Amino acid sequence: MTRPRRLFAIALWLAGQTALAGTPVPVKAPLGLPPVPVPQDNPLTREKIDLGRKLFFDRRLSPNNTMSCAMCHVPEQGFTSNELGTAIGIEGQTVRRSAPTLYNAAYMLRLFHDGREFSLENQVWGPLLAGNEMGNPAVGYVIERIRGLDDYRGLFERAFEQGPSMGTIGMALASYERTLVSGNSRFDRWYFAKDRDALSAEEREGFRLFSGKAGCRACHTVGARNALFTDHGFHNTGVGYARGMGGDRGYRVQLAPGKHAEVRESETASYSEPPPNDVGRFEITLDPADRWAYRTPALRNVALTAPYMHDGSIPTLEEVVEFYDKGGVANDALDPRMKPLGLTDEQKRALVAFLKALTGDNVEALIRDARRAAPGS
Amino acid sequence: MKSSQSFLAMALAVAGLVLGASIAPARADETCNSPYMANLIKGQEDYVHVWTLGVKGIGDGSDKLVTVDVNPASPKYGKVINALSVGGRGEAHHMGFTDDRRFLWAGRLDDSKIFIFDIATNPAKPKLVRTISDLPRKTGFVGPHTFYAMPGRMLVQALSNTKNHGGVTGLVLYTNKGNFVAKYPMPTTEVGGVKGDGYGYDIGINPAKNVMLTSSFTGWNNYMMDMGKLIKDAEAMKRFGNTMVVWDVKSMKPQKVLSVPGSPLEIRWSLKDGDNWAITASALTSTLTLIRQDDKGEWHAKQVATIGDPAKIPLPVDISITADAKGLWVNTFMDGTLRYFDISNLEQPQETFTKVVGSQNNMVSQSWDGKRVYVTSSLLANWDKKGADNQQYLALYHWDGKDLAEQWRIDFYKEKLGRAHHMKFGAKAVKTAETPQGGKLALE
Repeated sequence: MTRPRRLFAIALWLAGQTALAGTPVPVKAPLGLPPVPVPQDNPLTREKIDLGRKLFFDRRLSPNNTMSCAMCHVPEQGFTSNELGTAIGIEGQTVRRSAPTLYNAAYMLRLFHDGREFSLENQVWGPLLAGNEMGNPAVGYVIERIRGLDDYRGLFERAFEQGPSMGTIGMALASYERTLVSGNSRFDRWYFAKDRDALSAEEREGFRLFSGKAGCRACHTVGARNALFTDHGFHNTGVGYARGMGGDRGYRVQLAPGKHAEVRESETASYSEPPPNDVGRFEITLDPADRWAYRTPALRNVALTAPYMHDGSIPTLEEVVEFYDKGGVANDALDPRMKPLGLTDEQKRALVAFLKALTGDNVEALIRDARRAAPGS
Repeated sequence: MKSSQSFLAMALAVAGLVLGASIAPARADETCNSPYMANLIKGQEDYVHVWTLGVKGIGDGSDKLVTVDVNPASPKYGKVINALSVGGRGEAHHMGFTDDRRFLWAGRLDDSKIFIFDIATNPAKPKLVRTISDLPRKTGFVGPHTFYAMPGRMLVQALSNTKNHGGVTGLVLYTNKGNFVAKYPMPTTEVGGVKGDGYGYDIGINPAKNVMLTSSFTGWNNYMMDMGKLIKDAEAMKRFGNTMVVWDVKSMKPQKVLSVPGSPLEIRWSLKDGDNWAITASALTSTLTLIRQDDKGEWHAKQVATIGDPAKIPLPVDISITADAKGLWVNTFMDGTLRYFDISNLEQPQETFTKVVGSQNNMVSQSWDGKRVYVTSSLLANWDKKGADNQQYLALYHWDGKDLAEQWRIDFYKEKLGRAHHMKFGAKAVKTAETPQGGKLALE
């Protein structure tokens, strides 16, 4: 065997050993969801999940001990942030887009709103290293930081039979995120388990519209045996175009409950940083057809993940339905499926009722499980 | 009763006896000190300590305590005489003296560190004697904002929390040495008919009434965010406090939540004998609200005035009450204006004077005699104005009752210092100060 082949064989053996370490955790997909995809080189184990949860909530994973993954993906707020349109990173820095929910992230074929990553194991390093998110200056910095924390002593070794590294940190975090699977909603019990009483007549009508007149299902797909409510594709609805190309927009600013002021974008110039541009999927593919296109979000637990769209610009499901009913915002890269729908008020209500029936039955359990971890600082 | 509460009640009872006679004169806020604090400076202040935010690319880039000589008899009058860097940038914000005025506590809203400076040994050259770094881990709170002296204790109002960086938070009690004693969550349930929002901002205690008031701002997500982005984020703008809380000081239990919309900030009590009121300004709605006890002993909040044109969101950010409790300075950040309100008629305050003091202004502190008014510029690092409007300064004005005359202005960028925020006065006499209880305190 040549030397490179010998090294490759050793690396494979090591990876196999890493994969086999720990207590296996069987993953049973809930009703309505396909089997949870788990990479061969990172099987789920109790040790990895526990370590990943600890890392996920640990604010010490940022240089000034203020940011963890969970500060933006808040368990009680749908594993996103209900209190922000777009996220805020270390030292209050601006993040262009909303924190996507992590419910059912295990199933996503493309990660981030622009789909620039393909695996949870790799994805976790994006926020860790982004200067405007968790702000760590380098991979080695993160590894050494964790190595220096007493309460991590032995945890990586138990989970992976090796210490913290770029690979094991990614695998641990991905393992925890892979457990955030949520299904068995009332819709699932009606549609897949044929429980006729699981949905109300209005909710059933909402699904009929979702699949028909409203055209939602074309992108938020539903299969015969399960449903992720996403085609994993990228579409331009006009939200990104309006934000990036709109003129002097007006904003209705809440000053107190029931009290508002009207403020124009131009009036904020003296105290605003220049709004960052965002051309969506185009930034990854450089294909003009992808301008202002963003990943189709899955809709499970959508009632828990407001505000909506990649920029959190639409606060309620009712307003989301209104947006689509109007056919989005016209632009030359608009998805051809975006057209005025002509929905009646009753139909809009039915659609919203249906969307609210997509909440999984294990949300509270996932929150309880999440809060087993301490914030670290 | 928890042991910490029991101790606090006992300490307050003793302090009440000791301070009984001395509390009454503490009507001014020189500019906003706790009534439990000794040694108010009633003559000429010698120093102004400015808690200054470091700015990347300016000087050493670190937060620092800047000391300015403000005694006109000094050859260094109006000059920076010391700058003590504490390392890094963590959103330096407010400060507060211990009851003996020997130590100055200063907090950072981002990384939640608290710095304790010895200002007694050499008031011209404060010394950092302790850094508290574990407030979030010990309490689950984030963003130590107000530092309020109690007998032998420091009460700290936090602004946010480690769970979601929202506005639900609490109070934390420390010994003067900086040892954690207890924490008290802000109420989130209905107390006295109004639901608490759990938010915090300022602390104001009226010992004679055994009443503490707290006000409500917003959480880390919002106070750390670029202000232009914040204004345009509809969800974020829903997350500001709209309440004040009336607490029983001895038991540290909330007694009543008051509805005070629009993020009520600084609280200023009139502690004149027999007075039973405090005043606050709501930042977002640009209103003055009076908090007063009625004949039956019930506390009520009543909006009594507007500040500027509320539709333009002038953003009143600090207030300073005069010693006789008849006047109120109000700084409005957006238009850089310092405003004087005649509050002789508490039900109808009247704005009687305005002056633009800069492109932006934040804190206002007046001397005990009301003749000197100091102004600083920085609100929050990411809320401050940008470009040429980002003026950073400490300015002194003389007030003759009719007009403000600028004496000097220190450009904090030109001096390579940073963003000038909170001010506290210092005096050479503090070196010999003792605690109200008579015993000298020292940090180990």
